[in-house]
Amino acid sequence: MPNDEIAADALPDTPGAGQATGGGKVRVLVIDDEPEIRRAVQLGLASGEFAVAWAPNGQRGLEMVAQWHPDIVLLDLSLPDMDGIEVTRALRSWSAVPIIILSVRSGDTDKITALELGADDYLTKPFSMGELRARISVALRHAAHAATGGAGDDARFTTGGLALDFARRQVLVDEREVHLTPTEYEVLKYLAMHAGQVVTHRTLLRAVWGPDYEDEAHYLRVFIGQLRRKIEPEPGRPRYLLTEPGIGYRLRAPK
Amino acid sequence: MQRLPAWLAALPRWRMSRDDLRGYGYALLGVAGASLAIALVGKIGHVANISLLYLLVVLWLAAWVGRGPAILASVLAFLAYDFLFIPPLLRFTVDDPTEWLSLIALLVTSLVTGQLASAVRDRAREALQSQQRTATLYGVAQLIASATDQGSLFDDLTQRMLKVFSPSGVTGVAILLPGQGIYPVVRALAADPEADAERDALHLTSQSYAAEAAWALEHSETVGDTIAHTLSRADMPTPKSAPVENLIYYIPLTSRQHTVGLLAITGKPAIRTLLSPRTSPAAGSSGASALFAACCDQVALAIDRAILQQQAIHAEALDESNQLKDVFLGSVTHDLRTPLASIKAAVTSLLGADVKWSESERREFLESIDESADRLNRLVGNLLDISRQEAGVATPEKDWYLIGDVIATVLDRLELAGQLQGREVLVDVADDVPLVPMDHTQIEQVLTNLLENALKYSPADRPVRVSAALTAEPERELEVRVKDEGVGVPANELHAIFDKFYRVHDVHLPWASDRPPTGTGLGLAISDNIIRAHEGRIWAESTPGKGSTFIFRLPIPEETPRGALPDIVPDAEETTTVAEAEEAPHAER
Repeated sequence: MPNDEIAADALPDTPGAGQATGGGKVRVLVIDDEPEIRRAVQLGLASGEFAVAWAPNGQRGLEMVAQWHPDIVLLDLSLPDMDGIEVTRALRSWSAVPIIILSVRSGDTDKITALELGADDYLTKPFSMGELRARISVALRHAAHAATGGAGDDARFTTGGLALDFARRQVLVDEREVHLTPTEYEVLKYLAMHAGQVVTHRTLLRAVWGPDYEDEAHYLRVFIGQLRRKIEPEPGRPRYLLTEPGIGYRLRAPK
Repeated sequence: MQRLPAWLAALPRWRMSRDDLRGYGYALLGVAGASLAIALVGKIGHVANISLLYLLVVLWLAAWVGRGPAILASVLAFLAYDFLFIPPLLRFTVDDPTEWLSLIALLVTSLVTGQLASAVRDRAREALQSQQRTATLYGVAQLIASATDQGSLFDDLTQRMLKVFSPSGVTGVAILLPGQGIYPVVRALAADPEADAERDALHLTSQSYAAEAAWALEHSETVGDTIAHTLSRADMPTPKSAPVENLIYYIPLTSRQHTVGLLAITGKPAIRTLLSPRTSPAAGSSGASALFAACCDQVALAIDRAILQQQAIHAEALDESNQLKDVFLGSVTHDLRTPLASIKAAVTSLLGADVKWSESERREFLESIDESADRLNRLVGNLLDISRQEAGVATPEKDWYLIGDVIATVLDRLELAGQLQGREVLVDVADDVPLVPMDHTQIEQVLTNLLENALKYSPADRPVRVSAALTAEPERELEVRVKDEGVGVPANELHAIFDKFYRVHDVHLPWASDRPPTGTGLGLAISDNIIRAHEGRIWAESTPGKGSTFIFRLPIPEETPRGALPDIVPDAEETTTVAEAEEAPHAER
């Protein structure tokens, strides 16, 4: 990883890149044609631990990922030159940088496409800075985890009162073991390995049941409902296994 | 195809019909018969004025067959009587000059009798026609007066005209109205089942028919043309009377000095006689053509009336939409400006260099900005939704969902937005609720609106209840109820609250005396639109002072997915990874 000075020198004309200095800062690249969003992100994040750069269109964004090597990319879905899906596809062909999609509409199907193409998470505008920071840290944690090849994999995952013991294939809710079917366990395990991140219906179905079941999202909803009855203290108001409406599920990240 | 000049096309063509020939045959036979009778009587003895038998024949012909045969019979009788019975016999000469007198008397008497009788016959026929005409016109006028639906009115009119004028040779009738472009459009059409080519012509299938119709409409003149019988269908034998060219006419319909449309008729060449009074008044109007003209006038009136009605409806709609726009602008301006004003006020205060704000004051400003931004976001979302709904582009994208998931999502979102603030929300979803087809974004929005209202209009220490269950057979619908224990809605406003921008009057919230509740008056209107688009219904029940219940129902189709995801093959090894689970053989569906 090149150090910050070199990156900044290499990109003297990069808007906002001038501030991308300082050792150990997390480099955040905002690809969004709205200068106000860049400004808001910059103000909200630049509290010492982040360096924020900005690209006003998709092409420039791709160039900057290649030259500046950001740690995370915030990508708007509607860009003047190419749409966010194309940018995601192009990026994923040669980079594993975490991507968080910014979208203006909650019912946007493009966002699902982007997630299935390899984007890590999404945020619906307007969003709070707290949410943004939380999503960035989850994405960075997963990226770091993937970079070490899963080495140092914890034998145990815990979020709130829910715990998975991978070695023993045990699931504990408030220290009491609950009995899951092997399928339920696989679903929960997959979600735990992506804890804090959104997992689309399609991705989850493919991972656990295989590609033949990709389009059975409605049965997945029934299945998740049953799983919640076993692991949620109040299945009607899930605390661990959260629904991302229209997109998929998210297992609550450990605090 | 050539275009016939209207006047030429309308001229009666001299051609003897089969009926005419038969009449003249009767004249010949009648005279021959009478001659035979006179000869037979002459054999028995002399009868004075036996030639009067001829008069009987003439009278019969004049009264029942026609004027022409009667005249022919008169002349034939004159010749036959001379030839057969006046000496010298079998010659056209007359010996006795006095016999001339009786011969001339016979001729004159028969001619006059014939004329008189046929005049009586004509008058009787006219009276009958006039009665029929009156009846037909009355029928048409009745149709127009009693019409509630314009589409069916024009259909009825064309049917009626086809029926009335088919004896005159009409095989198809169509009403054409001015269209968006230069060509008129067919508004209604009636044609004989066999008249395929005519039907096509009336439909303006070919460019030339359309052009002729356009010309007739533009110049307000009758245009006639022949119809090409293209025998494209191999299975259709060539009609025996193929050489007879059928005609089509486009007749302008005028009302209040304006050409309001066209009447198109097709049929045998004889239909040209229907048009004679319009194109050449000298041609003498037959009963049918006068009736036709009167019918055209009626149709023109009907079209004109339809146009006026349309204009009136349009004006009313315009007026209504203007009023609506005023309300809309007033409401939206206020609702947009208020949060903007508070944001601006807070921000300028914070930016102001002259005042040192305390930490708590700064926090208050910031919270106000945050709240106002949320409010603006909600309002903009509502406005977008309602305009999408009104533009008709908000059709639900349905998939199978569990209502419990949707309720949980909405509650999470409200919690995140700080709208629950420790409020008690009791959820009760029946176990037997199946997957229901819905657009989850839209149903989430309905639930959000209902819950926000319930929270807003009930005191903080009272719970809000959300329940979902199936209604009893036979309806078997999903029923969702959101119940609060708040101020309630007056009975007379229970319907109006679902109208756009409607806000309940004089709401006083005893637990929040400082300010009236805010809102856009759009939430319930949007919810109503959404539930309707799902073919369900939404309504409210309330006891003022005790609380309200908002209820919506969604239909459940007969066929619901009843399957389930299979269990994957359990893998007992401790080192099971996701990758291995992916490779595990999948149970067949």
